[in-house]
Amino acid sequence: MIDLMKHLWKSFFLILLIGCFYTPAYAKEWRQAIGPWSWSFPKDHGTHPEFRTEWWYFTGNLRDSSGEKFGYQLTFFRQGVFPRPKGLNQTWAIRDLYLAHFTLTDVSRNQFWFSERLSRRGPGIAGASETGMDVWVLNWKARMEEKKIRLDARHEGMALVLDLIPRKPIILHGKGGLSQKGGGKGQASYYFSYPHLETEGKIKLPGVQTPFFQVRGISWYDHEFGSNQLAPDQVGWDWFSLHLSDGQDLMIYFLRRKDGSVEPSSSGTLITPSGEGIHLKLSDIKIEVLDYWKSPKSGGKYPSRWKINIPLSLIEIEFASLVSSQELLTSGSTGVVYWEGAVEGKGTSSGRPITCEGYVELTGYAGGIGGLF
Amino acid sequence: MDQPVIRIIDLWKTYELDGSGVSALRGTNLEIKKGERVALLGKSGSGKTTLFNLIAGLDRPTKGRIEVEGQDLKTLGEKGRTLLRRTKIGFIFQFFNLLPTLTAFENVFLSLELANKPKPQLALHALKEVGLEGKERRFPSELSGGEQQRVAIARALVKKPSIILADEPTGNLDTATGNQILELLTRMCEESGTTLIMATHSPLTCRYATRILRMVDGVIFEETS
Amino acid sequence: MKIVTKSFLRYLPRRLSLSVLQIVGVACGVAAVVGMTLSARTALKSFSNTIEFLRGKSTHSIQRPVGPMEEEILSKLAQDPAVQWVSPVVDRQLRLQNGESVHLLGIDPFLDRSVRPEIYRVEFLERERENLENLLSFLTDERAVFVDIHLKKEPGEYSSSILKTEKGPLHIKGRIPNPSGEPLVLMDIGHAQKLFQLQGYIDRVDLILNDETDFISRWEKGFVIQSSRQRRETFSGMLQAFRLNLEALSLLALFVGVFLIYNTAMFAVVSRRRDTGILRSLGANRLEIILAFLSEILILGLFGGALGALLGFFLTRFLTDLLGSSISNLYFFLRPEPAAWSYSIIAVGIGLGWGASLLGGVLPLGELSRTDPVKALSGRITTSESSRKAKKAALGGMIILFISLILFLLPGAHVYVGFAGVFGFILGVSLLMGWVLLILHPYLRRIMGRIGGLPGKIAAGNIRQNLGRTGVAMAAFMVSLSMSIGLSGMIGSFRESLIWWMGTQIRGDLYIGKIDEAEVPEDFFEELKKIEGIGGVHPYRNVQTLYQNTSINVSAVDARILQKYARFGWLKGGDENWEGVKQGGVIISESFSRRFGVKAGDTITLEGIRGPETFRVVAIFYDYTTEHGLVMMDRTTYVKTFGDLRLNNVGIFIDPGNPRRAELLLEVKKRAETRGLPVLSGSELHRNILEVFDNTFAITRSMRAIAIIVAFFGIAGALLTLFIERSREFGIYRSLGFSTGQVARMTLTEGLEMGLISFLLSIGVGTVLAILLIKVINLRSFNWTIFYFPAWQPYLITGITAILASLGAAIYPIWRVFRTYPQIQIREE
Repeated sequence: MIDLMKHLWKSFFLILLIGCFYTPAYAKEWRQAIGPWSWSFPKDHGTHPEFRTEWWYFTGNLRDSSGEKFGYQLTFFRQGVFPRPKGLNQTWAIRDLYLAHFTLTDVSRNQFWFSERLSRRGPGIAGASETGMDVWVLNWKARMEEKKIRLDARHEGMALVLDLIPRKPIILHGKGGLSQKGGGKGQASYYFSYPHLETEGKIKLPGVQTPFFQVRGISWYDHEFGSNQLAPDQVGWDWFSLHLSDGQDLMIYFLRRKDGSVEPSSSGTLITPSGEGIHLKLSDIKIEVLDYWKSPKSGGKYPSRWKINIPLSLIEIEFASLVSSQELLTSGSTGVVYWEGAVEGKGTSSGRPITCEGYVELTGYAGGIGGLF
Repeated sequence: MDQPVIRIIDLWKTYELDGSGVSALRGTNLEIKKGERVALLGKSGSGKTTLFNLIAGLDRPTKGRIEVEGQDLKTLGEKGRTLLRRTKIGFIFQFFNLLPTLTAFENVFLSLELANKPKPQLALHALKEVGLEGKERRFPSELSGGEQQRVAIARALVKKPSIILADEPTGNLDTATGNQILELLTRMCEESGTTLIMATHSPLTCRYATRILRMVDGVIFEETS
Repeated sequence: MKIVTKSFLRYLPRRLSLSVLQIVGVACGVAAVVGMTLSARTALKSFSNTIEFLRGKSTHSIQRPVGPMEEEILSKLAQDPAVQWVSPVVDRQLRLQNGESVHLLGIDPFLDRSVRPEIYRVEFLERERENLENLLSFLTDERAVFVDIHLKKEPGEYSSSILKTEKGPLHIKGRIPNPSGEPLVLMDIGHAQKLFQLQGYIDRVDLILNDETDFISRWEKGFVIQSSRQRRETFSGMLQAFRLNLEALSLLALFVGVFLIYNTAMFAVVSRRRDTGILRSLGANRLEIILAFLSEILILGLFGGALGALLGFFLTRFLTDLLGSSISNLYFFLRPEPAAWSYSIIAVGIGLGWGASLLGGVLPLGELSRTDPVKALSGRITTSESSRKAKKAALGGMIILFISLILFLLPGAHVYVGFAGVFGFILGVSLLMGWVLLILHPYLRRIMGRIGGLPGKIAAGNIRQNLGRTGVAMAAFMVSLSMSIGLSGMIGSFRESLIWWMGTQIRGDLYIGKIDEAEVPEDFFEELKKIEGIGGVHPYRNVQTLYQNTSINVSAVDARILQKYARFGWLKGGDENWEGVKQGGVIISESFSRRFGVKAGDTITLEGIRGPETFRVVAIFYDYTTEHGLVMMDRTTYVKTFGDLRLNNVGIFIDPGNPRRAELLLEVKKRAETRGLPVLSGSELHRNILEVFDNTFAITRSMRAIAIIVAFFGIAGALLTLFIERSREFGIYRSLGFSTGQVARMTLTEGLEMGLISFLLSIGVGTVLAILLIKVINLRSFNWTIFYFPAWQPYLITGITAILASLGAAIYPIWRVFRTYPQIQIREE
């Protein structure tokens, strides 16, 4: 850590970020994810400020009327800094930092854009409601009204306005929503998803003539909150969210350790077409990496083609990234380099041929993020 | 070839001085042949210097005509007159008029340079001729009056002019030195066949002349002694 | 090299003292120009750098017409579809304990980093690096600041990471880079709000917009939106008059410099006249002589220019500071870094030296090439000829003076035309010098004869005899002296006018708070009003806003109190003008009236918090607070228009006959002190204002000093040349039995006489110059009337300077006389 710091003296923001995410002095003051959570919606779509880290994650695979494929990611993070901020000027006092990442993928042109934001709450410039889903960082926002979620984000040439309507009920991952991320107590988060959201709206791409693409597709929504998720020996994770053409949805995450092994508490959830969640233990999942992509920017070597086999449910699929360079170098917000992108593939489910699409998140391949989240 | 080197016809020169006209020359006529050594006697202010300046084309007459080697100075133009001074006419002054910042050698060489014959040997030779061997690198202020006038003679003769105009060449020297200078000057002119005109107020000079003219109030009279 | 040329150049080492003087002369001229222009450019560049740097990537900014805006607006702005980025700013001046003020930016680093990324290359102090939490202290410590690297070594102000300010110590956590000339302190916006008691308010928001027209259509009302270009123009518009002043000073330096070089070239010509005659008689043509002479003045120009560039560069170090403090006093704090050394400065200096030498050499050169060899050799320059020349020059001078007069009379002409007129005036007058000398000569001869005896008479004759040389030298000297008198006269009159003005407007017994900072809490104002027996508690508010997209000032006053206690200088009418102000009208300063062509009875429109509001102009008053224009209105009108209740200062008026006067003043003072508010008496405030005024004119005063130095070398060069030229005459004097002392006295008298005549003439010329500067230049560039107050001090100072300079200039020639005179003989070179 000290060596790293030496290089960072000149970058106020990296220091700020690391400082904000690494404030062990207050670690004990944040509530830990221990024991069952009594869920209540829509309140639990809102923020849980007593926990240190919280995120709202939207990813989706979209198509325009001519069938051209797109992908998007819009993620909001809340990172607690000081549980009880000092100072009299509470408007600007820092308790949490709000971060957001926004990406668009244009499959046919093989292009990927991302932008990021970071802000304190201030006089309403960023924040999240405690009573329902309403989270925003400047003019990026996610807000749920009745049964519809409205996403809205603009940055330079990029823009997105999408309406998301859940077609399957909320899925609580792990044990009643308590998702274990390591062996230790509290090394867990509360985690739930809308695995299947029918999506409609418009997107705008930088440098593309068309003002807006009218698009439709399927999105995935994750909401997770906790205080102490990754252990220092964990280097990162691989996370998969896949929609299968037979109506099933699949979420899997693997936590990777420094020694190359996978955290035993890694797990997944298979959601049936009717919206029933089936917990998958690590032993239920077989995964094979078939190919890699080396990032010219970060030097990270990321898996780019996978084969997943879930014998229990007779699912065998092979899929690959749609655009290889879906890497985010978020020096301006989380300071983390990760890969998050649209994927597509095919396989069989109960012997019948299926196709699949979805999003994959790969962290810790270009510099460790252990201890940050 | 009996054409005169200098021919002057009805020459007038009037100066404007504080509003009133003062005539330095009043209808002078003169012919001087090649090789003649003329002494022009006259009191100071009688118009000798004015005449010299006019012959050299340094000044323009109010009226009249000057021919040098058959050429009318008026038709020569400024360029032609400059060329004339560079090649045909050598000047020797009472106050020597050496350039104070140049050495003896350079003063002589300057004359060659202007005549477009920049050969150092000629200048060195000329200084030797006037007896200043070994003093080439001295500045005028390091030379005696007689020596300075010798430099002036060398400067005038080095470019082999056809006419030497000497304005009171001994006026600023003691008699002995003056005689030495006159001797040198006439001998050198004789040897090279150069026409010499010496303006002077001292009859002593006449000894060195082949012809004597007297100037009274801007008019020239032939003197037969 | 041609021998002709050599014969000229040999003079340079031969007459070393003169050559040195000539080189120094050229060098002084070049140094003045280089020093002035370079520092002016540096200061202005540093100003635009500051603006550029602080602008960062923002395309626009939005603020209330006056005063701060509510921070809630920020989130609405952020949501606006035309807005790409917002960065709220608290933008204030912070006074350090040593009296200097620095620019404090209160920002949200998270938002601001997209607008001004360069600032955030922070270098943390050593001890802050120990742990991460210290590094976060910028956000957590309410007194944490980053200071720019220029602020690092202020003794006492910056010890052990504490920045001592009038608002208490601030904790320096790190240093930020700052390419601009303005010392910068960075603070978290929340902490800055607290420091300036601005909770809930920000000064402006810097924006990155996608769609300007779309945005303006939604936000126009109640806000001032400026694009970066407009903002830059507004700022540089503020400096316009100042820039003009600098340009004029640079031109002045150039003028004096060329004059001096002309002087130098002139002497070179005169001393080559005889040689030219000889060369011509030997057959050298004009071109050869011109080339020889050119090479001489070009060598002088080369060495003089290079030396001048060096001197100018060192002068810059001094002038840049002065300029910085002038700008800081007048506009906003700026600490320009002196220009860095570059060899191009030498090149510029040589170029200037050459250019000016050529310019100065043209006339003498023409004269030289026309030299009549006969006359040159006979050494006869008839006095009639020199007097004809002097008359010719005088005629030219008259024509130039006439043209200048026309320039002055042109109605509504630009200030540049005024400058042209002033320069024409100086040039014209200097051309008259020779002629004036001719006229004065007989009287001078008599006077000098009476004072100095025979040597005095001869000295007077010498001046007359050498008119070509003495005339130019004296003209140059006279111009410099006039410059000095004119500038002093202008500054002095301005100062007197300012004192008069303070007497009309600043008549309070006490002033609480500062003029330039919002400092007095409203409740304190209310508290003071409750004290029984005070004649008037006057709330004063002064803000900058835009009128026709130009920065102007608006003041809120209490018309009732001012009607009773102040005695404004009205252009028309009297204190009954306040009646209109009470009814919602405004009064405008003379500068506003002239700048925007607004008359009493007209209406003006200002952007208020509820959109544009129109006001009737009741009257115009004399004012020197800002050349940008001032609109004054009653406080009730102001609050209604701008919704701004803040106060800059409070004035206390107590009736002179009030028996409790001393007691009341003490009571007010005590209460202000318990609040930690600065209290100044009326006369203390007057003193402070005058102090600022004097600092502001430091640069002009230093220019005056340069003019005198340049003049000194001019006159010294003239005397020395005359002396060298006349060594032949000295031989004659000696032969006639003049003693060394007599010759020395003659030289001295000559110098003194030249100085005195120059001075006597400069009395008239300088006075006219002062009046021109006041009535033409100031009026046109600052739009205000200065009243001419005659004073004797500038004349006395200039007179003493003239005498000392001419005596000083004679010292070296006299020393030469004492050294060489006993050896001088009547002989030719």
